[in-house]
Amino acid sequence: MSTMPLPATLAEVLARGDIWRGDTLAGLPENVIASGHAELDAELPGGGWPRGCLTEILTERSGLGEMSLLLPALANLSAAGGWLALIDPPCLPYAPAWAAGGLALERLLVIRAGRESAWCCEQLLASGGFAGVLAWPEAGINPRALRRLQVAAEGRPTFACLWRSASVAAIPSPAPLRLALSAGESGLAVRILKRRGRPAARPLILSIVRPGRSPRALVGPSLSLAAPRSATAAAVA
Amino acid sequence: MLCGDPAALAAGIVPGLKLSTALGLCPGLAVVERDDAREISALHGLACWAGCFTPTLSVLAPASLLLEIGGCLRLFGGAGAIVAAVQAGCAAQSYSLHWAAAPTPLAALWLARAGRAEIYPELSAMQAALTGLPCAVPGWPSEILERIEAFGLRKLGDLRRQPAAGLRRRLGNEVLDDLARAWGELPQPLKPFVFPENFRQKIELPARVEHAEALAFAGQRLFAALAGWLQGRQFLVRACTLQLTHDDASNSDLVLRFAEPAADETRFARLLREHLGRLQLRGPVEALTLLADELVGKPGVSAGLFEQPVAGEGLAVCLERVQARLGSAAVQVLGENPDYRPECAIRQSAPDVKAAPVTASGAGHAARPLWLLPLPQALAEQGGRPHWQGPLNLLSRGERLESGWWDEGESDAAGDLRRDYFVAQNPRGQWLWVFRDGEGWFMHGLFA
Repeated sequence: MSTMPLPATLAEVLARGDIWRGDTLAGLPENVIASGHAELDAELPGGGWPRGCLTEILTERSGLGEMSLLLPALANLSAAGGWLALIDPPCLPYAPAWAAGGLALERLLVIRAGRESAWCCEQLLASGGFAGVLAWPEAGINPRALRRLQVAAEGRPTFACLWRSASVAAIPSPAPLRLALSAGESGLAVRILKRRGRPAARPLILSIVRPGRSPRALVGPSLSLAAPRSATAAAVA
Repeated sequence: MLCGDPAALAAGIVPGLKLSTALGLCPGLAVVERDDAREISALHGLACWAGCFTPTLSVLAPASLLLEIGGCLRLFGGAGAIVAAVQAGCAAQSYSLHWAAAPTPLAALWLARAGRAEIYPELSAMQAALTGLPCAVPGWPSEILERIEAFGLRKLGDLRRQPAAGLRRRLGNEVLDDLARAWGELPQPLKPFVFPENFRQKIELPARVEHAEALAFAGQRLFAALAGWLQGRQFLVRACTLQLTHDDASNSDLVLRFAEPAADETRFARLLREHLGRLQLRGPVEALTLLADELVGKPGVSAGLFEQPVAGEGLAVCLERVQARLGSAAVQVLGENPDYRPECAIRQSAPDVKAAPVTASGAGHAARPLWLLPLPQALAEQGGRPHWQGPLNLLSRGERLESGWWDEGESDAAGDLRRDYFVAQNPRGQWLWVFRDGEGWFMHGLFA
C-alpha cells in the first residue's frame, strides 16, 4: 500500500484560522489589536483585543487602572489615524492625561447620549468608520439590546468595549469576551470570565503604570501607615 | 375640463366638457384652475432632476422634456437602464409620463405623444413606427389638419408617400420640414436647458401640513431636483436651507449641514428625516422652498487602487446623523488649554473630520488622572487623614498649583487657586487625585 503524504496537508488544514481545536484558543490573526501586556495577549484568543465583536469589561469600582490597561492599544489605534469614541463616560475625560497617554485628541470623540446611548452605540459600530468605541451603557441594559450591538459590530474593523458593573457577571451576555477587573496586591487582577476557546484557569495579575511609581518596581507601594504619614507631615507643615 | 382623476372619469367627465356641464354631472367635483406658471416651474424642477442622467436636455412647453442620452449609454449600461431609472424617479416624485426613445428628437417626441413606450435603436425601426402614427400627433395648426383630412391622408406614412413639391404648395413648408426632421434627413438644433446658477425651488403643498414628518415626502421631490442640479453643475453641497412658509405668510428656516459635502439623494433624505423628527412646527405649512447655500466644486480625487473599502457608511455620515439626533452640543472633541488649573485645562470643540493633526504640547511630567470630577468632592477627615471609602494613603509628594489670579471674583470662573495635589490610594485599591487647600481635603480625579 502506498502511504499518502497526509501529515503536511493535515498540518496546513489545522493551521487555518477557522478550525477550532478543543485544546487551543481560536487564532484569527488579522482581527486583533495587541494589548501591550504580554501575559494578557497570551490569554486572549488571537493574541490581543478582538475587532468586530463586543468586549465586556466588568469592574466593581473605578480608579483601579482599568483604562490604563487599554491605553497602549488605544494609543496605537489613534496613532494609526483611527477615530475613538467614548459614549457616556462616567466622569469628564481629562484631556492632558489622555494626550500624555499617546492619543490624538482631535480624533477622540466624547458623546453624551443620555437615553439614546444604545442607539448611538449601534450607529457608531455599524458605520465601520471608528477604530475604537468605548461605551458605558446604562445599568439596566437588556440582553436584546446587547445582541443588537453584537450584530452591529460583526464584520466591522472596530474595537468595541462595553464597561459594566461587576454585579452583572452572573447574567449571561452575548459578548464573546468578558473580563472582570479588581484590585490585586501588586497590580490589577484580571479574571477572564468568558472567551472563545477553553475557559481561563486562574486570574492574571498585571502591573499597570501607576502614578508615583517607577515602571521598574514590581512591588506595589506599601500600605503601612508609617511612611506616608511622614510624607504628609512634610508636605502640609 | 382638461383632465380628471379615475373617479371623475368614471362619473363621465371627459376632456372638452364645459365647467357647468361637468358640475351638473358630478356635483361634488373638486375643480382646480390651471396655472401655467406652476406648470413651467414644475417642468423646470423636473429638468433639474433629470440632470443626473445627462447634461444635455431640452424643455419644450407645455409638458415635454427631451433628454439626449446617446453620450451616456455606456455609463449607465444601456438605454433600458436609463429608461427604467427615469420611470422610477418620476414615479417617486409622483409624475406620470409617456416616453419613447428614438434617434431623432422630433420622432421621439411624436412617438411619446402617441403612447409608444419603446426604445427604437435603429433609424429604420423608428421610420417604420412613424409611418403608422396618425396625423394629429405632431400638433400642427387645425387648418392644416383639416386640409390633410380633406385630402384623405390619415397616417404620416401616407403624407410621406405624396410628392413633396405638391404638398409644399398646398400645406406650406412647416409640415414637410417637420417630416424631414423626424425622418432624420434634416438636422434639428434644439435650445439646451441651462441649469440655473443658484438652486432655488419652491413647491406648494396641496393641503396644509400640520405634522413635520409629512413634509418628508414633499421635501423628497425638492431634494431629487437638487441632486440632479448638483450633478449637472458638478457641485457638492455643504449646507442648504429648507424654508417653510406658514399659512400666515411667515417663514421659518431649517438649516441642514453636512459633515462632508455631498450630492447623494439618500443622504439628503435621511438627514431630512432626522431633522424633521425633532422639529416643532410653528404653524401649518403651505409651501416649501429649498435653497442651496454653501457649494463646493466637485473634486476630481482619484482613489487608491488597493485601498480597503470601508465596510459600512463611514465616519462622516454617521457623525452627522448622531449630531442630528442628539444635538451638536452632545458630540464634542477634546482639546487642551494651556492652564495649570485642572478644571480649565480641558476645551471642547466640534468634531472636524478633516482636521489636521495637532502636535501635542510638551506634556508635564507630573502624573495626571484620566478621569476628572466635574466638581471637586469634599472628603471627610479623620485624625489628620482624608477618608474616601477608607483611609487614604498619600503616595506622592505634594504638588502645589497656584494660579488664576486674573479670574478672581468673576462668576463662573475657577478663580485664584492655591492647592496641594497628592496621589492617594485607599484600602480598596482605588487611586485618587486629591488636593488640600485652605478649606480642607477634596478629591478631584481618578487614575483609571
